[in-house]
Parts: sequence; structure tokens; C-alpha cells
Amino acid sequence: MTKFALRALPIALLVLTGSIARADQIPNNTVRIGEYWVFYHVYADNLSGPFVPPGLNLSVKDVQTPYLAYLRRLSTHFTAELAFGIPPLTKTYGKGPATIGSVPYNGQYISSARWLAPSALIEYVFCDESHKLRPYIGVGLNYVVFYDRNSTAAGNAAAGGPTSISLPNSIGPAATVGVNYQISRNWSVMASYSASRVETRLEAHTAGVVRTSNISFGPQTLVIAAGFSF
Amino acid sequence: MYRFRGSLGVAFAAAMLAGCGGSDSPTAAQSTSTAHGTLAISPPLRIASADAATLQAQLGASASGAQLLKIAGAPSCGIDFYYIKFWTAGAVNEMTESSGALMVPTGAAPACSGPRPIVLYAHGTQFDKAFNIADPTAFNTTNGEGALIAAMFAAQGYIVVAPNYAGYDISTLGYHPFLNASQQSGEMIDALTAARAALPTTFAASTSDDGKLFISGYSEGGFVAMATQKALEAAGKPITAVAPMSGPYALEALFDAVITGNVNLGSTLFTPLVTTSYQRAYGNLYSATTDFYSATYATGIDTLMPSTLPVASLFQQGLLPQTALFDSTTPVVTVPGNPNLSAQLTALLAVPSNPANPLTPLFAAGFGTPYLINNSVRVNYTLDAALDPDGTAIGSAALAAAAPVYPLRLALYKNDMRNGSWAPNSPTLLCGGENDPTVFFAVDTGTMTAFWSTLPAGLVTMLDVDPIAGPAGPFAPIQAGFQTSQMQEFAFLQTAAGGGLSAAAAQQVLLQNYHGTSVPPFCSLAARTFFSQF
Repeated sequence: MTKFALRALPIALLVLTGSIARADQIPNNTVRIGEYWVFYHVYADNLSGPFVPPGLNLSVKDVQTPYLAYLRRLSTHFTAELAFGIPPLTKTYGKGPATIGSVPYNGQYISSARWLAPSALIEYVFCDESHKLRPYIGVGLNYVVFYDRNSTAAGNAAAGGPTSISLPNSIGPAATVGVNYQISRNWSVMASYSASRVETRLEAHTAGVVRTSNISFGPQTLVIAAGFSF
Repeated sequence: MYRFRGSLGVAFAAAMLAGCGGSDSPTAAQSTSTAHGTLAISPPLRIASADAATLQAQLGASASGAQLLKIAGAPSCGIDFYYIKFWTAGAVNEMTESSGALMVPTGAAPACSGPRPIVLYAHGTQFDKAFNIADPTAFNTTNGEGALIAAMFAAQGYIVVAPNYAGYDISTLGYHPFLNASQQSGEMIDALTAARAALPTTFAASTSDDGKLFISGYSEGGFVAMATQKALEAAGKPITAVAPMSGPYALEALFDAVITGNVNLGSTLFTPLVTTSYQRAYGNLYSATTDFYSATYATGIDTLMPSTLPVASLFQQGLLPQTALFDSTTPVVTVPGNPNLSAQLTALLAVPSNPANPLTPLFAAGFGTPYLINNSVRVNYTLDAALDPDGTAIGSAALAAAAPVYPLRLALYKNDMRNGSWAPNSPTLLCGGENDPTVFFAVDTGTMTAFWSTLPAGLVTMLDVDPIAGPAGPFAPIQAGFQTSQMQEFAFLQTAAGGGLSAAAAQQVLLQNYHGTSVPPFCSLAARTFFSQF
């Protein structure tokens, strides 16, 4: 396996650099602007920690946010993409018993966080550049920085007081399938569907006690965007 | 070029963060002060919130909770249960974080919001180091006393403050200052100070202290309640009324009785708490634990209690004897030149055998092998008591005429509520049950009542919930309720559902449950009835 990788690497580099050297007439850079629809497939452990009744879990509401990306043409068939969404405000809802004591829980909007989630992808683009419609597939890495993490009034009521939330950054694999339609030399439109692994450990700190849950967000994203190549 | 793109990426990310603005939400603030009574974390954690209907449903879901509701009545208010952490000091002024409960009544009714009276409550002895009276999730398991004060006081509109005591829960103190009047009263006052600071920060911030302060407590907590009353009155702080319940107030008299063979129920658990507490406070009870304890149990006993092990495990693992406080081979006392006294003391230290006393079998069970306390302790203690007797031994209610010489007895004398000839100046109800096998009613409540017999009428009221003569007086319904519940329990235990016990066995169960389970709700109801007059 290691020998294969060592042999394959120089060949791949030759292919890529050769392609870049030949690409005089085709723009190498593309920026895309569009819309991101993020569908979460959350799996979370029940919350654990002091004074936590059994069966408390979480759900996350799907979000929609503007999409930005930069693409670098590497060769006829390979493209590198760095994609961002404008960090969406992702809302977390209580899932489990209707109330904790008398405090409403199930379905309550209990916390939120913004995600800065750049993805770096290497994409293989099918067909040659004479085709206007070119499907592609890609793999890469997704890095998520959580910030602006807030517990809502309902979250504070459920937790028992003002609560700060810790969500460590996450790095995980990402994969995408999509199709690009080249309208002109400079303009294109595209659509893609992607999935990535985003796992983190939520810690809710309330008055000196810590409650935790390991969460896998399992985001899947639909993107529709316009591209400008230069 | 690549460097530029990298910088662009960082700048882009930074712009995203800045543009979206906001910051993470804060949590409670940790105090940097460790001064007495400082609220360590503000606002405190609300462990749970239950409205009146939810509280009634949750308590009613268990048999013990349903029985409690029958006595306490249906909740008028909901309760927010807070877990307060505060700073206090140990027996020799070692600062330690301690914890406790703050129960705040909730609900729209006038009796459940706005300015409300405070009940400062001291709990009974717990052997579990992890005990947390603030935890309502343990009401049906380890925190029955928390359920009791919630139902009896907080659900009826009283703000309740109850410390866990130093040495328990989060406290890092390596022992519990058990029956240490100055430490325990100081901790109660520190808990009250912290709770008053916490009140405006709670979810029910409009619920406030109306200035009325009631103090109560059960068993060890009865002693602590009275010690707190003594300390606050000495400091000139106003108290509305006090209701100590089933407490060992006359410590010298109580231990004189125990050492001379009236071995109370639970004594093998209480004794290490007492001796460790006084050894840590005064440092002179023993040089080595073997001076005091038999070799079987001496190793590690000074750090054993309160314990991380269940009581049953303490017995099973041989860390404590179940009942054998004293050696069944009792000592022969020799007082040089005084054969009569020698004979009297030898007889006094013998295994009790009076058939007329229904507690004789209990007392006799306090003797065995292996045993906990060395005979030398009994002999030296009893010699001290003979030379400088407690009033209860010579027909009065007075404390010993002079400070005792024997260190354990001197420690008890210092912490005895009669010390300093103190008398309360706040209305006081002393409640208990006269058949109490753990904290003897006559020796403690009876002695204090006699000691204060010359005070103005009505200042101190004694209530026996289990009078031989039958219910009488203003608390007659409570006395009748107690005695009826005892009869019902006695009958139930002899049914198939209750285990089909014989009458004698059922009587033993009643005796076992008398102090810890049966009397507390009725005395607590009496305390609430008493407080409601003010």
C-alpha cells in the first residue's frame, strides 16, 4: 500500500502540473455564490451529568445560508474547491420528556451556535472541457469552528441557570457529487449534494456543574450556485 | 501567490466571525472571596422546578411520599430547588467550601411569592459523605429529609435554607464537626448569609426575605438549631421562633447515660463521628486511636465517618460493629480507698439487665465482642462523672458543677446547651417522642425543659408527640395522628403485606424506625403549626 502510494504520487503530480501548464485559454479560477441548504441528521447521546433526569436529548433544526466557494482548476479533470457557508445560526431544540419537573423541554429552542465550516475538496470532473454539462465527484475535509454559542432563556431554565456552552472544533471527511453547467467562458451554474462528518462534545456549564453529550450532526447539504471564472 | 491566498482565507474567516458578531453566553460567576458566608457561585444552580401539581404528583408516586403528603397536606406552592455553595470554617477555623439547599416557593398565590419567611433548617445525622439535601432527584432514595422539609415548609410558602454540613458533599474538610456547637451554628449562619445573597439572583427574584426567621432541625439538627439560636441571640440578631426536634441538647447527660450502659440505637455509627469531631477540635481525646477504640476497629477509624460506603458495608467489611459499642466483659472498677464507690461503679458499668425497662434488650445489645470502645474509656469517663456529676444524676437539671477533667466529657460539657447557663429569649418549641431509643427524650428534651422551667410562661414549650397519657393540649391532633400512625404501622407489619411479623418483631421494627422515620414528620408539622402563629 505504501509502495503504491509512493509510486503514484509523482505520476499524479506530473499529470496535475502538466495540465496547469497547458491551460492557457481556460480560466483557472472560479468563484461561486449561491445558497446552502443544510439538513442535519443528528445522533446525540442523552445528556449526562449532575442532576440530569434520564432521556434528555437534543435535535437541531435545518438551516439555509449563502454559499461561497473558490475553485482552482488543476487539470482537465481535477479541481480544488474551498467552500464556505456564511456561518448559519444553528438552533438546538430539546428532545425527550415534555417537561423537566415543570420546566418545558421537548421542542424548546434551548441553544444556538454559529458554524464557520470551510471544506477543502479535490473534485474529479467528468467529460472534457468541451462539454457544457459536467458532473463531478469530490472528497476532502470539513473543518468546523463553532462560535457565538448561546443558551436561550428556555435553555437556561432547563439547565437551572445561566449556561455557557462549549463545542470543540471538529474535523471530518466530506464528500460531494454535483453537476456544473458552463453557460459561457466565464459564467456557470452548478448544483451539488454533499455530506460530511461533524462530531463534537457538547459541554453545558451551569453554576459550576457540567453536563455533556457527544453529538454527531451528520450534515448533508444541497447547494445551488452561480460561478464566475477568470 | 499562495501566501496571499492563505492570508485571504484567514481574513475571510475573521471577517465572518466579526461580521456575525456575538459572543458565547456567560455562566454563573465564581466568587474570589472565601470569607464566611460568601456565596461561592452566583446565581446558584436550580436543580429542579416543580409547580404545586407536579410536586404533589411526584411525591405521591411513592408510598413514603404519599404518607408525607397526608401529614404535611397538599402543596400550596411550587418549589424551585437551588443548590447553594458557600464558604464556612471547620472546627479549628479551616476555611472550606460547603453546600446546601435553598428552596424557594413559587406560584401566583400570595402565600407563594413576594416577601416570605425563612426557615433555616438543620438536618439529622447522615452517614453518607455524599449526602446532598438540595437534591430533589433523590427524594425517594437517599434524601427523604429533603422531601420532608420541601413538603412541610417550602410547599407551604416558606423559603427554606438547609446546609449539608462541612465534611459532606463538596466540602473538602476531612471530617464532620459533629455536635460542635460553635462550628455548626457558624455554618448555619454562613448558609443563611449566602442564601440571602442568592435570593435576588434566582429565577423567582421577586420572592424575598420578609424578615421573619424561623430555625428548626431534627436530631443532630435539633442540636444545631438550638446552637444556632444560642449564637444568634448572643449576637443580638432577631429570631422569630425556633423549633428544635429530638436533639441531643444535654450532651453531658446523654453521654453519661450511654457510657454507663444505656447504649442508644445507632451508637456504633454516632460514636466515631463524636470522637473524631472532638479530637479534631480539641486534640486531646487520645494520642492514638487505640487509646480509645479496640484494636479490631482502631485503624483508620478517625477518617471513616462520614463514609463513602453504605452503612451495611461498614458492618459487612468489619469496619464497625453493628451494635457492640462496649465490651461484654465489663470492667471491675477499683477506686483506691473507696470500696463502696468501686462496687457502685462496677455495677453501673455492667451489662444492663433490668427487666422492668423495655429498652433493656436494646441496651444489652450494645455489649459484645468484638466491641468498639475500650473499657478504659468507660472507667475513666465514669470516674469523672462520679466526682463531678451531671445534675440529672443527682436530682436537678444542671450541668456538672465544675468543668470535667476527662477530655471526652469536657468536650461534651463545652458543647452542652446548658453551658453558660444560656436560656432562649425567642419563642421555642421542643418537640420529640418519649420512647425515642436514639436520642433519649427525657435526658435531652426533658432536661432542657426542666433547666428552663423558671422562664416566663410560654417562652419554651415542650411537646411529646407520643405521650403515655394520651393526646392533650394545643397539639393534641398531632399527637393523636402520631399514635394512630404507630398503631396502623404495628397492625400492618403483622399482615401478610407487611411481612407477617409477630407482635414482638413488629414492635422491634417500630423501635428501629421511631427516631429516624416516625417522629420527624409529626414534629415537623408541630414546628410549622408553631411557626404559623408568628
